[in-house]
Amino acid sequence: MKKLLLPALVLVILWGSTGCNKWAADSNNIYKTVQQAGKTVSDSVPLSGSIRGTMLQGKTYTIDSNIIINQGDTLMIQPGVTLNFRNGAALVVLGSLFSEGTQAAPIYMTVLGVTKNNTPGLSLTQDSAHIGLWGGIIGGTTCPFMVIKWTHIDFAGGSYGNAIAAIPQVNQSAGTSYNILFQNVNGYFIMEDSWVYGGTDDCTRISCGKVHVFRNTYEKCGGSGGDCVNMKGGTVGTVAYNFFIGTAYNGQKVSNKGQAVGAPQSDVVMYNSTFVNDGAQVVPGQRGSTIDYEQGAAGAFFNNVAINCHVGYRVVNNPVADTSNLTYGYNYQYADSVDVANQFFTFGPVCMKPQPTDLPLPSSYLPAGWNYESPSQGSYDGTPVVQKLNPMFVNYPLPANNHGFYPWQNDAIGSADFHLQPTSPLIGKGTTSAVSPLVVVPIDPVYGATEVTPPGADLGCYQSNGRGNQH
Amino acid sequence: MMTPEMLVLPTNLRSKSTTQMSKKLLCFLSLMAGLACLGAQPLLAGGIKGKVTDKTTGEPLIGATVYLENTKYAALVNLDGTFSLKHVPAGTYKLDVKYVGYKTLEQVEVVVTQEGEEKEMNFTMESAATSVSSVIISGNGKGSNDQSARTMEKYAANVENLLSARAIELSPDVTVGNAMQRVSGVQVLRGSSGDGRYAIIRGMDQRYNNVLVNGIKIASPDDKYRFVPLDLFPSELLERLEVIKALTPNMEGDAIGGSMNLVMKEAPSNFLLTANVSGGYSTLFSERPFSAFYHGGISQKSPAEMYGNSYTATSANFPLNNLHYYDKNNPINSTVGLTVGDRFLNKKLGIIISAAYQNFYRGSNSQFLIPSAQPNAVLPTAAGYNTNPQQPAFTDAFDRQYSTQTNRFAINNKIDYVIDRRNKISLYNFYVHQNEYQTRYTPDSTIGTNSSASSISVDFQNRSTWTIQDIYNATLQGVHDLSSKVKLDWTGAYSIAQKKVPDQAWYDWNGNVNLNSNGETTSIDSTTYGAGMNRLWQHNQDKDLAGYLNLSYVPKIAGKDVTFSGGGMYRYKTRDAYYNEYSLVPNYGTVVPFHSIDSMALVFNPTSGGQGSQTAVNYNTYTGHEKVAAGYLMAKFMLTHALQVVGGVRVENTQEDFTTNMPYNSDQGYGTIHYTDVLPSAHLKYALTDDQNLRLSYFKSISRPSFAELDPYHYIGEFYDEIGNPYLKHTRADNLDLRYEWFPGVADQLLLGVFYKDLQNPIEYFVTRNGGPSALFIQPQNVSQANNYGFEGVFTKYFGMFGVSANYTYTHSKVTTPKLLYHYVGTAIRTDTVFQSRPLQGQAENIGNISLLYKNPKIGLDLQIALAYTGNLIAQVSPYYGFDIWQKAYTQLDFSGEKRITKRFYFYAKVNNLTNSPNRLYIKFPYGQEYGPALPYQTSSNVTNVERDIYKLSFLAGFKFKL
Repeated sequence: MKKLLLPALVLVILWGSTGCNKWAADSNNIYKTVQQAGKTVSDSVPLSGSIRGTMLQGKTYTIDSNIIINQGDTLMIQPGVTLNFRNGAALVVLGSLFSEGTQAAPIYMTVLGVTKNNTPGLSLTQDSAHIGLWGGIIGGTTCPFMVIKWTHIDFAGGSYGNAIAAIPQVNQSAGTSYNILFQNVNGYFIMEDSWVYGGTDDCTRISCGKVHVFRNTYEKCGGSGGDCVNMKGGTVGTVAYNFFIGTAYNGQKVSNKGQAVGAPQSDVVMYNSTFVNDGAQVVPGQRGSTIDYEQGAAGAFFNNVAINCHVGYRVVNNPVADTSNLTYGYNYQYADSVDVANQFFTFGPVCMKPQPTDLPLPSSYLPAGWNYESPSQGSYDGTPVVQKLNPMFVNYPLPANNHGFYPWQNDAIGSADFHLQPTSPLIGKGTTSAVSPLVVVPIDPVYGATEVTPPGADLGCYQSNGRGNQH
Repeated sequence: MMTPEMLVLPTNLRSKSTTQMSKKLLCFLSLMAGLACLGAQPLLAGGIKGKVTDKTTGEPLIGATVYLENTKYAALVNLDGTFSLKHVPAGTYKLDVKYVGYKTLEQVEVVVTQEGEEKEMNFTMESAATSVSSVIISGNGKGSNDQSARTMEKYAANVENLLSARAIELSPDVTVGNAMQRVSGVQVLRGSSGDGRYAIIRGMDQRYNNVLVNGIKIASPDDKYRFVPLDLFPSELLERLEVIKALTPNMEGDAIGGSMNLVMKEAPSNFLLTANVSGGYSTLFSERPFSAFYHGGISQKSPAEMYGNSYTATSANFPLNNLHYYDKNNPINSTVGLTVGDRFLNKKLGIIISAAYQNFYRGSNSQFLIPSAQPNAVLPTAAGYNTNPQQPAFTDAFDRQYSTQTNRFAINNKIDYVIDRRNKISLYNFYVHQNEYQTRYTPDSTIGTNSSASSISVDFQNRSTWTIQDIYNATLQGVHDLSSKVKLDWTGAYSIAQKKVPDQAWYDWNGNVNLNSNGETTSIDSTTYGAGMNRLWQHNQDKDLAGYLNLSYVPKIAGKDVTFSGGGMYRYKTRDAYYNEYSLVPNYGTVVPFHSIDSMALVFNPTSGGQGSQTAVNYNTYTGHEKVAAGYLMAKFMLTHALQVVGGVRVENTQEDFTTNMPYNSDQGYGTIHYTDVLPSAHLKYALTDDQNLRLSYFKSISRPSFAELDPYHYIGEFYDEIGNPYLKHTRADNLDLRYEWFPGVADQLLLGVFYKDLQNPIEYFVTRNGGPSALFIQPQNVSQANNYGFEGVFTKYFGMFGVSANYTYTHSKVTTPKLLYHYVGTAIRTDTVFQSRPLQGQAENIGNISLLYKNPKIGLDLQIALAYTGNLIAQVSPYYGFDIWQKAYTQLDFSGEKRITKRFYFYAKVNNLTNSPNRLYIKFPYGQEYGPALPYQTSSNVTNVERDIYKLSFLAGFKFKL
């Protein structure tokens, strides 16, 4: 026995000192808190009225009529939850909302039994996207946190109706039909990696607040009018890496209109967003289709991409944006037709100064000394840049097949893929230094922004290094 | 038959000593008025001269005939009550005096001893109906002519001004609203057709003044004001118009500026028949046609009312008929009036019926700039930053054309029955029905957000509005002398008023005007895109039931008559309102050019927007009640032989409630409000001489918010949307009045007065921002405190066939309210709060009227020219510092005349707005161009013009028949 003991000991020592280190790797199973507010929400009966607590992972909830998160209450939605709205119901947020989807298990807020119709050239009533089938997410003036991550918001845009309009913290008219509303100047609006499909008016209306809107996809938003991310007086933050297709009016717009006493001046930094076929309901000379800086708004916009949009980027001069505190450049535009190229620098009450960093190079098609402060219709000929500098998308050949319609009547993503091919002229043309994000929200995997993606080296929302928009 | 001794009373109406001073002042004032003081005595070559007056009231009997039997010598009594028979040869004559409605004086013997001798003879006449009318009018006097109006002002226990039926008839005014501006201290607010609609008394907004008909408040069809709009009443139905500026305890306490009492015609003592017919024209329509819309087939009910609130309407529910227009060239205005009255059953039963029909085509051309919801912040580096860190911005320039056809039918009926000398009852009925068809055409050049130096985006809009208004009122009254010392009167009143706006429809489309570098138009594209269509159904109804009871007792205390009176009233008001607006947008996947409303595809987006549960369930649809209970005690006595005291206290309790059709648990969805006011008052009248008074009055009064204001409504306004305020408090005021009065001639007067008002919680309409950041709203709100004081002067003088009447009011008021300042502080833009003082909204510092009158009874010619001046005033209060919108002072000149053709037929003519006075609004701020394009309609570099309304001259001429 003793003879055996020694060699065994040696063996153990040998094995222990040199052998399988793998076993030493700490393997633990410590309980991790699943973010959950108060009690759980039951999925056994359709929901209506006041709501708070946690919607559990993977469950499906039916909402029969308006649900309201009261002031001071919180609704936590775990990954993989589906909310089916019925009867035009809405989610009213007077307290806090955390919609915490993940890439693997996104959250769905939708209506059952409706199909998406990708046919181009539909009228509003022919397209299920623009009917307004539920009331959307309605933030009140008391909402401190609205966090929306990896969440699909489909077919919203129904009228709020009188019962919601009458809530003093909502203070809207019954006919208001924004998909998402946020209006607390001291609150945080965080929206990341989410999708919005359809709408009848502004998709996201930020009356005021601290915002972080990153890496989202907006498809067919707006109806007979409406901007996608429409920010008013008292809004501060960053809006970046978003993708827009088939909007009614602008993708990203900011104004200082309605700045309340004590509210900060609107100051929003925008970079690396991509706009495709936008501005279906826009009349050139009157409105924009991509990025708009309006009355008294400060900020910056760089590295953006616009493909066949009805009207190009705009800095409005009546009433004038805060041009003394607004910088921009490295913005790219592409046109299949001369009509689109003629609106790269639109006319009317605008004052956007051509930048030598813009693509295509403004001096290659604008006349020398072109009056950018009050441009008139037809003041330049865009022919030289028609179909120039093809962005080389993975699956969206240009010039596009518009099926006999205007580009902006081709408003669905379908099977298209707007990531860049390695040969794209947009790669490496962005600035990473001329602009930096304006971070005003907490950084936290649950109770804040997950990631503030810095400006990318490639133009637009899809980066060749895999960062940026993850859709 | 009276004997001459009984009749011919040498009436020395006033002592000669009546102040040379005053006479001088009078002359001075008449010179000031632009007339030569011709002196009171008509020059006589010789003959008989004198005055003819009413035996009981002392009023001159203008137009009475004085003649010598069997001779050619005859004369008519002038405006000042005088007559003269000239060049009468020596001899003995029989003199007769005749006047309609009076007992004729016959065969007064006159001896003229020699040619050239001036004989002075004064006559008084007795009314043929004295015995009846003294009961009928029960101490109220009639006031249907100017002279008796003056007499009533003189004897009134409180401070008041009167306008007689005769004065209204002779004035250029067809409606009571326009006539009201002839009264001292009154300015009228004109509606979009230029007609006076509401009255501002002594600088107090219309909300502070109540309107009574025969002393009774009647329901209003207006959805915003609690009192009846004055333009609903044809002026010819009026016996007289009273403006009472100091309230006694027996009057309802809700008047701070004053109380307007429309006293309707009563049954005459003898058969009466008058008729008139006239035609007229507004010269506005010689420049452009009158635009009319097809109103046949308009549905009185909305789709939701027809099929229920769960029904989802589509564009098929909205026929486009009323959005089709046609021109009417040179439309002719017409009026027809008929009054018949008589007394029956031994004169105990009196009946009078007055009917009037008016059909008017009116309009205005209006230019208006819409201030942007937010001004521009001037850069700190810019010149002028230190003085003006913010600058107004404008979003739209409207150019609007209104075409309004109004047809109105009104019946006024009074039946009275004199049971015996001590008891009388009467029933008064009033019915008015009005249709108004209004077309508003708006080419709106959007000058702000969507326009530049190179192109102007134009939003065109056509709107058709049919407004139906009905009022019915029945008032049953009784007056009983229970004993020689105790009197009782009672009133029961029922009134119902409704207003309907069925299917108000409008649609918008957009066009583009392209400009070259010189700002000249190079091309216009009016088909850019169609913007949408709206359809609105709105109606409301007010129903009032009211009862009044007054009792007076006149005992002798310390040898003097003391009148004690007391009484009360109760009113139960029910109001219903309905509002349902549909909004449709073009149904295209992208922008499509606009060609006509018929070819535009329209849809509700979201689809649920067509459902009554979305459109008809709102704060504008509600039912409300108001219950007012009031009681008072009052005493009236002569403290000395010259000092009259009237005083007492009134208590009013108000209970209000409203319930909207909003879902349960809706904020402000329903509510109740109640309050009780104790309203003391004291009125002293000191008779300096027979014809001079000094008055001192104190009274406390209130003003209730209008019924609709308390409901949290949201209406589309003409320029701004409007929202209600259930937290609005009622206004209370302490009022002090001091007035000197002098009635030198039979119809002459001089009134000088000062007033002071201290208001708690006055209500002002502020422009506020609520909800969306781009949305400006007008909302009634309380200001904690305001003062209002001023001076008032009235002067009337007649010289033979000429008369001049003038009044002037100076008013000063002040409120201080918080305002926003939108400006750069360093490099950031900030919105701050600052305080600014200003006059009360709608209050003009200076207002005045002057009218000249010529009356020649001999040839039957009356002429009047009237001028009304209203000074600068704040029309709209802005939320931003220094950007209040002011109305520019304006002067309106009107003319009227009447000529007798035969004994019973008269020709008359009225011409309004001779000088084509526009209504102009401006901001006291110079508009700089560095922050926007050049503005249209600008004339001055010191102010920014924001509105200009043009009405043009209009005239009316016709014939009148009097039996």
